[in-house]
Amino acid sequence: MSGATKQSALGTLFRYEIKMLLRDTRTILIAIVAPLVIFPAYILILGYVESREQEALEETTYTYAVLGTESEWAAELVLAAVARESSDPDTSSAPVTFERRSPEEPLADLEAGELHVVVEGLSAVEWDSVRAETESEQSDSTEDRADASQQPSVPAVRIHFRAESDFSREARNRLTERLREIRASKRDSVYQAAGFPIAMERVAQVEEVSVATAAKEAGALLGIALTPVLVLLMLSGGSIVAVDAISGEKERGTLETLLTTAASRTEIVRAKMLAVVAVGLTVAVINVANLLLYLVVGLLDLPANFAVEVGIWELFLLLVLFVPVTLLVSSALLLLSGASKSYKEYQVYFFPVFLVFLIPTFAASLPGIELRSIISFVPLAGVAVATREIMIGVTDLLFIFIAFLTTGGLAAWLTHLTQQTLSNEKLISGSDLDEADLTGGAALFPRHVIRLFLGMWVVFFVVSLWFGEDLGIRGQVAVNVVVIFFGGCLLIVRRYGLNAVDAFGLRIPHPTAWLAVIIGAPSALILAVGLGELMNRYVLPVPERMLESFGQSLAPPDMTLWQLVFFLTILPGIFEELTFRGVLLYGLKERIRRRWLLALVVGLIFGLFHVSLFRIVPTALLGFVLTVVVLFSGSIYPAMLWHALNNAIGIIPFRLKILPADFEPSAWWTLPAAIGLAVSLWILWRGGTDGSKRATSHSGRGA
Amino acid sequence: MNTSDTTVSVADLKKTFFDESRGEVKAVDGITFSCVPGEVFGLLGANGAGKTTTLRMLSTVLKPTEGSASVMGHDVLNEPEATRENLGFYSASTSLYPRLTGRETLEFFARINHYPPEKVAKRVGKMVARFGIEEYMNARVEKLSSGMKQKVSIARTVVHDPPVLIFDEPTVGLDVLNAIEMVKVIRQLRDEGKTIIFSSHIMSEVEKLCDRIAILHRGRILALGTLESLRQATSLHYLEDIFVHYVTEAEGVEGAGIGATGEFEASK
Repeated sequence: MSGATKQSALGTLFRYEIKMLLRDTRTILIAIVAPLVIFPAYILILGYVESREQEALEETTYTYAVLGTESEWAAELVLAAVARESSDPDTSSAPVTFERRSPEEPLADLEAGELHVVVEGLSAVEWDSVRAETESEQSDSTEDRADASQQPSVPAVRIHFRAESDFSREARNRLTERLREIRASKRDSVYQAAGFPIAMERVAQVEEVSVATAAKEAGALLGIALTPVLVLLMLSGGSIVAVDAISGEKERGTLETLLTTAASRTEIVRAKMLAVVAVGLTVAVINVANLLLYLVVGLLDLPANFAVEVGIWELFLLLVLFVPVTLLVSSALLLLSGASKSYKEYQVYFFPVFLVFLIPTFAASLPGIELRSIISFVPLAGVAVATREIMIGVTDLLFIFIAFLTTGGLAAWLTHLTQQTLSNEKLISGSDLDEADLTGGAALFPRHVIRLFLGMWVVFFVVSLWFGEDLGIRGQVAVNVVVIFFGGCLLIVRRYGLNAVDAFGLRIPHPTAWLAVIIGAPSALILAVGLGELMNRYVLPVPERMLESFGQSLAPPDMTLWQLVFFLTILPGIFEELTFRGVLLYGLKERIRRRWLLALVVGLIFGLFHVSLFRIVPTALLGFVLTVVVLFSGSIYPAMLWHALNNAIGIIPFRLKILPADFEPSAWWTLPAAIGLAVSLWILWRGGTDGSKRATSHSGRGA
Repeated sequence: MNTSDTTVSVADLKKTFFDESRGEVKAVDGITFSCVPGEVFGLLGANGAGKTTTLRMLSTVLKPTEGSASVMGHDVLNEPEATRENLGFYSASTSLYPRLTGRETLEFFARINHYPPEKVAKRVGKMVARFGIEEYMNARVEKLSSGMKQKVSIARTVVHDPPVLIFDEPTVGLDVLNAIEMVKVIRQLRDEGKTIIFSSHIMSEVEKLCDRIAILHRGRILALGTLESLRQATSLHYLEDIFVHYVTEAEGVEGAGIGATGEFEASK
């Protein structure tokens, strides 16, 4: 067949995809027409509610009561404030009226909602004791206290209100503001009586001038919002087609019909992707046009002085940048559709995917973030930051290109994965009998391993968040590695009836493995630090905090040496290995056949179990190396020693002051370290997984 | 058999699924056969014998673990698109798009199977007339009865005029009249010179329709030949008896075979 006819298959697929979508009137109504109506309705209703509330707040007569030892003085003050409120012409909002009540129990009435505010007049002595109390709580400002205590005491006003009531808050606001004004004018008159030479309002005046043009200011704002809005609209719009595109075909039983035609998998995926892009963009354009229409009609107001200045070149750059974004969103949705067996499964997974894709687009609103940083390598986040920079007239072409490449690269990879789902035999012949489901037990473990560890992560995260501080570092390590990790693993082994020797990798390694660990552990650590340093110097500045935690592990000064050794090297060495290189690796081995990918995944999961964002990369790296050690040696024990040594080298020499606290290995050490690591891994590999007396065959091992 | 006429050729085809509990499961365990134009080749076997897996490998939906298969000289692994272009695949799991009309369905499948674009309209018209589906050609498939859907579905399978047609348990779920209609259509297509691979576990259908029969059990072909040659080889008359004979022989133990492979629907 010639290329021309193949082209037409793509066109036909796309045309019919759209045709079928357009015939699904209900979907079209809900997905495209509904937002057009709902969005302005939402704005109108919101505006209405707000103006009604404003009106209600202005029309209300606020009731107050006065109490306290200095109640007469306070009442006078409040009266002056209320008079000011009703007579002052210099106010942006309409004045409100206050009414004094004299109930028996003002505070009880306030709580019951009978009163809006209660004003309490405190005597000088009372006020001093109140102040002394609050100051002893915030003991840091000793100087202020010394100053204050020398000054003569004066009475004060305390306003009681109910924070949950809009009306009570409004009364509080108005009253406080007026009381402050009265205070200021009293103070001013005292100054002036004492002969202060100039008018009070002319003292220390401040004027603000922004050097940014209105366009720049608006550009920065719009630049932050542009990517999230586009991604949001693409996600919601594209999803209409995506869900139907593959998981819908599976559900209706048309996928096999389509897969047995001459159309290639590539053509099918491309046509569906085009459809997702087309509909996603259409929905985005319709919504933006809708928004513009309401701006023109006057239903919506732009901020004053709003102006955007984007030249042709910038516009072109933005369009180019948004190509990989739309492709990425579409490919992700399509992959989701391909990986789901049904509509329902798609819907279950949609929300997490939605969040995962939306969150990076907010990168541009991070304070002080610049494209010329690691962020440009993060798909979507890089584009988001680049967009903001372009909108304020900064075009860093090299890093814009990097953002383009990473986002586009991920899109291409996801598209490739989607094509694979069309060849995934389990997903296509989903109706076939699944032995593992019937057998249960150990056979199910590899399938559940990811969600089990996700559950473990949630427990770990919640415990760190809620009890982290109470437990202290010792308690935290003990609870995490022994109770959560190892305890969780024991439960897993029991529940699935796993063979503990296999699951934990409890085998005697080849004797040379120990030598390999002695060489390898320090080499790997030095290499990692060195590579981090090189990367920092020549490629990209790594955030400062990442470097800090890279070199120095958490070694609190209040721990004795043996505690350091026990809690930070021995415990993690044993139990983290049993958990991650034992049970986790055992489960994933059945699922991921490519060994390097397996090590990468185990490393990454290990990294995610270290809450601090800056520790993920170094720990993931360590996890990767340790997985390789286990895969090469066939035993968990060398990895345990390696892990313990790694932690010890990072802590002990600094603690014993053998090395200065700010010590960093010179970049020149990197080369011998790399050789050391290579030699170590070679020894492990040569030693093989056979160990001394271990059974040679092991199920699930294959290339 | 004249090899120059061969339309479908399957050699030592194997499909191994990886199962987490049982390890490797040999769904198809080295089968070999070939077909010529104008014949109905029957794959007879109980549920789980490997019929659908074999046919899915022929239609390139599944990849063979070992061995080779080709359709009109196109290898399923190396030329999957060309293979499928020469195939029409019909099974209980190949549904139609509910939101397309019958006519659009035929046009769509003619086009994506690379039928010359300028001839599509004419070909669709011919199919409509042939299967007697004029009346509801312009109604959406979702509004059709199952009998109507079946006719559109058969028309969909043959609309691009492929030399080889696969019918995988085509009568499953059909009422008697529709099943008879199906058998009639298949016979007509055979008479037009198509190669037809027909899989079923219903003895009477296979007996009536197939020129040659392969008895499939646990992924292997136990016997292959015309009904007459199978009768001679076993000295049994009914296909049901012949089938039981081979399966029992393969299992080694009297009567163990059928029970172990799942339920079994006999004809009479």
